[in-house]
Amino acid sequence: MKLDVGYILIKDIVFAEKSEIKDGILRLNAKELETLVLEDERFLAVSFDIARPGESVRITPVKDVIEPRAKVEGQGDIFPGVISKVDVVGSGKTHVLRGAAVVTVGKVVGFQEGIIDMTGLGAEYTPFSKTTNLVADFTPRDGLTPHDYEAALRFAGLKLAYALGRLGVNISPDESKVYEFPSLMEGIKLYPDLPRVGYVQMLQSQGLLHDTYVYGVDMKQSLTTMLSPTEIMDGAIISGNCVSACDKNTTYHHQNNPVIEDLFAEHGKTLNFAAMVITNENVYLADKIRSSDWTAKLVDHLDLDGVIISQEGFGNPDTDLIMNCKKVEATGTKTVIITNEYAGRDGTSQSLADADPSADALVTGGNSNQVVTLPKLDRVIGTLDYTEKIAGGFAGNVGSDGSITVEIQAITGSTNELGFNYMSAR
Amino acid sequence: MVKEIERAGIPVVHICTVTPISMTVGANRIVPAVAIPHPLGNPSLSIEDERLLRRKILNTALNALSTEVEGQTIFEVT
Repeated sequence: MKLDVGYILIKDIVFAEKSEIKDGILRLNAKELETLVLEDERFLAVSFDIARPGESVRITPVKDVIEPRAKVEGQGDIFPGVISKVDVVGSGKTHVLRGAAVVTVGKVVGFQEGIIDMTGLGAEYTPFSKTTNLVADFTPRDGLTPHDYEAALRFAGLKLAYALGRLGVNISPDESKVYEFPSLMEGIKLYPDLPRVGYVQMLQSQGLLHDTYVYGVDMKQSLTTMLSPTEIMDGAIISGNCVSACDKNTTYHHQNNPVIEDLFAEHGKTLNFAAMVITNENVYLADKIRSSDWTAKLVDHLDLDGVIISQEGFGNPDTDLIMNCKKVEATGTKTVIITNEYAGRDGTSQSLADADPSADALVTGGNSNQVVTLPKLDRVIGTLDYTEKIAGGFAGNVGSDGSITVEIQAITGSTNELGFNYMSAR
Repeated sequence: MVKEIERAGIPVVHICTVTPISMTVGANRIVPAVAIPHPLGNPSLSIEDERLLRRKILNTALNALSTEVEGQTIFEVT
C-alpha cells in the first residue's frame, strides 16, 4: 500500500463566520459545529474553546485527542467503519491539519480522564501542549449511563475532527511524505539483505470503557490480526478508552504512531519493515493465552528476524506483554518491548507486574508514579472537580495557592508506550 | 500479601485471574479465577449457574489449602 500524506500547517484556530482554512489559520463557525454534534440527542449542550501553546490554560478531564484529517484520493474515507463506511483505507492521498487537534472533555468515569496544561511544568509532560486545540466540553442529558456517554463523546470527537479535516481537502499541503508498505514478497525482493522487522501493537481492550476499535470492531472481540500501517494513518484504529491518562493511546497517538514513523524512516536502509500485527489485552486468562499464541504464530509464519512490541496501559496488560515477548522469542525471533513503569514515587519498586528473562531488551516511557506540582493556571477548560480523584491524584492535592500535586499518571500522554512523549534520560 | 502470610506459617491459596503474575510473585497454591472485573462470578450466567460456579471455585480453593505441595501449583477448577 502507498499513502501520500500532505501536511497543511495550522498556525492558529479562531472562531469566525465562515469555516475555512486561510493562510494557515483554521477558522471555525462554532454554531455549525454545535449543530453537528448536538444531532446526538444524548447531549444537552456543548461549549467550544480554543487552547493555544503557551497560554495559561488547564484542560481537564480530557477524554480523547484527535487529529483532523481528510481523504483526498483513493479508496475509503477517514475513520472507516465508524464515521465513514467500512472500506479499506491506507492508500491514495490524505491531508492532515498539522498542529491542530480536537480535544474532547467530559466526566465519563471522573478518575480516568486526563489533564493537559498548555504552559508550565505540566506542558512539558504532554505532547498536546504543543498543538492548538479545539476543546469541546460536553454536557450529557440527565441519566445518561457512562457507557452511552463514552460512546457519544467518542463519536462527537471523531465527527468534529472529520469535519475540520474536510476543510483541508482543497488546500495544497505545505509538506508531504510518501509511505510505501510493500507486500511481503515485494519487500523481500527489494531488500534481500536487510533484516525483516515487524511491529506488534497491543491495543487496550479490557472492556468497561477500556476499549479500542479497529474499522469499527471492538478489538476485544477480535483475534490477533494484521494490517498495513498506512491504514492506521487514515484512522483505522480509534480510541474508546477511559483509563489512566499517561499511557492510553488517544486517537491522535494512533494516527501518528512514532514506532511506525521510525520503522518507515529506516525501511530500505537498515531494515525491511515487513509486517504489522495488532493484538488485544483482554480480561480473561484464556484470551490472553490465545491472543499471545496467535501473535507468536503470525510472527513465526512471517519468518521475521525481529519485532518491536508496544504495550498500552499497565497492570494486567503487563502479562499480555510478557506472554507476547516470551512466546515470540521462543520461535527464534528477537523482540524489543516498549512499556512504562509503575515503580512507586521513589522509583524503587518493581516496575512491571510480570517479568521473564526473555524480556531482555526494553524501552521505557518513564515512571508514571513520579510526582509533580503543577502551578495554578489562569483558565480552566472543563472542571477541577476530579483533581483529587483522578488516577494519579490524591485527597488534599490542591494547594492553597491553587497548585495541584499529582503523579504524572494524570497527565495525558506523559509516559506513552509508543514513545510519543518528551521524557528522556538524555 | 500471600508471601508474608505464608512466612508467618499460615498456608495461603491465591485465587486470581492472571495466574502467570501469581507465579511470578511466588504464590504456592494458585486457583484460577473467572476474569479480572469479576474474579469470583460470571454475570453472563444465570444466578443458579453462577452459584454453582462460585461453589466450585471455593471448593477447589479449600481443597488446595489442605493439599501438600512440593512447589508452585495451579489447581484447576473442574
